[in-house]
Amino acid sequence: MIELKNIEKNFVSNKKVVTAVRDVNLTVPAGEIHGVIGYSGAGKSTLIRCVNLLEQPSKGQVLIDGKDLTKLSASGLRKVRSKVGMIFQHFNLLKTVTVYENIAIPLKLAGVPKKELGARVQKYLQIVGLEDRATNYPAQLSGGQKQRVAIARALSLEPTILLSDEATSALDPETTDSILDLLLKINRELGITILLITHEMNVIQKICDHVYVMENGSVVEQGSTIELFTNPQHATTRKFLNTISQRQLSDSLIDSLHVTGDVTRLTFVGASTGQPALAEISKRFAVTPNILAANIIELKNGIVGNITVHLEGDDAAREQALQYLEQSGIQVEQLGGLVYA
Amino acid sequence: MREFIDQWGDILWEGAIQTFQMTSISLIIAILIGIPLGVAVVLTRPGQLLANRFFYQVLNIIINIVRSIPFIILLFFIIPFTKFIVGTTIGVEGIIVPLVLYTAPYIARLMETALLEVDHGVIEAYKAMGMKRGQIIWHVLLREARPSIILGLTLATVSLIGATAMAGLVGGGGLGDIAYRYGFQQYETPLMYVVVILLILLVQVLQTVGNKWSAHLKRD
Repeated sequence: MIELKNIEKNFVSNKKVVTAVRDVNLTVPAGEIHGVIGYSGAGKSTLIRCVNLLEQPSKGQVLIDGKDLTKLSASGLRKVRSKVGMIFQHFNLLKTVTVYENIAIPLKLAGVPKKELGARVQKYLQIVGLEDRATNYPAQLSGGQKQRVAIARALSLEPTILLSDEATSALDPETTDSILDLLLKINRELGITILLITHEMNVIQKICDHVYVMENGSVVEQGSTIELFTNPQHATTRKFLNTISQRQLSDSLIDSLHVTGDVTRLTFVGASTGQPALAEISKRFAVTPNILAANIIELKNGIVGNITVHLEGDDAAREQALQYLEQSGIQVEQLGGLVYA
Repeated sequence: MREFIDQWGDILWEGAIQTFQMTSISLIIAILIGIPLGVAVVLTRPGQLLANRFFYQVLNIIINIVRSIPFIILLFFIIPFTKFIVGTTIGVEGIIVPLVLYTAPYIARLMETALLEVDHGVIEAYKAMGMKRGQIIWHVLLREARPSIILGLTLATVSLIGATAMAGLVGGGGLGDIAYRYGFQQYETPLMYVVVILLILLVQVLQTVGNKWSAHLKRD
């Protein structure tokens, strides 16, 4: 379990104090995957580096399984660090040695007995699917394969926690997906707790249980992934969601749809995705729903559907229809206000 | 040809041995001083593993001072120091001290460049795995810098061979001394050519071996 309490990190540059992280509180229970999303400069990288004290926080506590890292001796800290794996955007492998040695060297340094070494390296190469690449050098591997080696290196020390610092940001979308699948697999099969930072919403969508949205060093919104996808509060969160499915319709877009009246977004979560809600309202009330757009997003712990509709009908009927939808557990949101053609 | 070999063979052989001795002994000692010095300069830099501004500046100034003195001047300038260290200022022993003093700071600078090339991210990764500083210095910093270290040492060796040519001035002998004494001062021009060709071959071979070795370690 990771707990950050009131973490603040200040840097001094040119005699000016710059606050990179301010008053961040975060708890990742054992076995979960939590993600911090933010634009570059939001302070998320500094934040994740505070977890293993690569960056010493200016204020606050870092607790790993209840132990306060800021109070540990140098050797105590090294011991904890060896049980907190970390992977990076640029992989950070030794370039002059083979894949095998990249994994074996840290094990040797950590004091793993020589006769266990070979089997241990093989085991984790197999988990990441690179057992036939042991004698290759990093330069002979693709980006995704290099990240797999880095993951194997981190896992081979048998940590309980894995920190991922933009691990997929340098990879193409397909490779990103395969690395995310791998992270999900090690979370499920090895029970490893994962804290990751990213600027890609699809990383959050695919593997995170819980999300923190960061801006200017602060967490501006947090919640379960489903909560955030269905009911985002902060403007930044909405902007990130827009990268997955367009939420805000521009005036010109609404204009070009040639509609009059309200444009409404309906959000369905989990069970409500099965209801024939639109058919129902057109039967019960004097409204005709006209579907402008629809999509479905598969999250780690559920499904979120969105339909953007234009309701034709008089004011009273529309209001009744929307009320009915809300009562059936569907979230209703007006987009772009009233538009008259 | 036969005549030339009969006349100069022994002298050339002896000169080659002396050059080899001067180069190898001073190189080894200079490496033993230069590499740790280079590592110290890099590690005490701001932002590095053992950041210490004062120590870093002091090392920098010392290296710069020694590096600014031309070898021929250094040779005489430090005579008292040489005498104190090895008890003599002439012969192969007499020249080793100035050669080391000349080469070690140079190697330190070359090591500095080589070590700074090492990706800081890898050092960070090892820190994150809970590795000790000494382990990181040896297994990451020096290991990853090997290709550049080899190239740097090749460069240092070539410049060291050049410096040994001046060894004749303090009676150190060597190939350069033969070219100067017999070739230049006694007008034995063919001998001078032979020595120059030998030196060219030596440097070519050294540089080729250095390049190949470095490329082999690089694994790109």
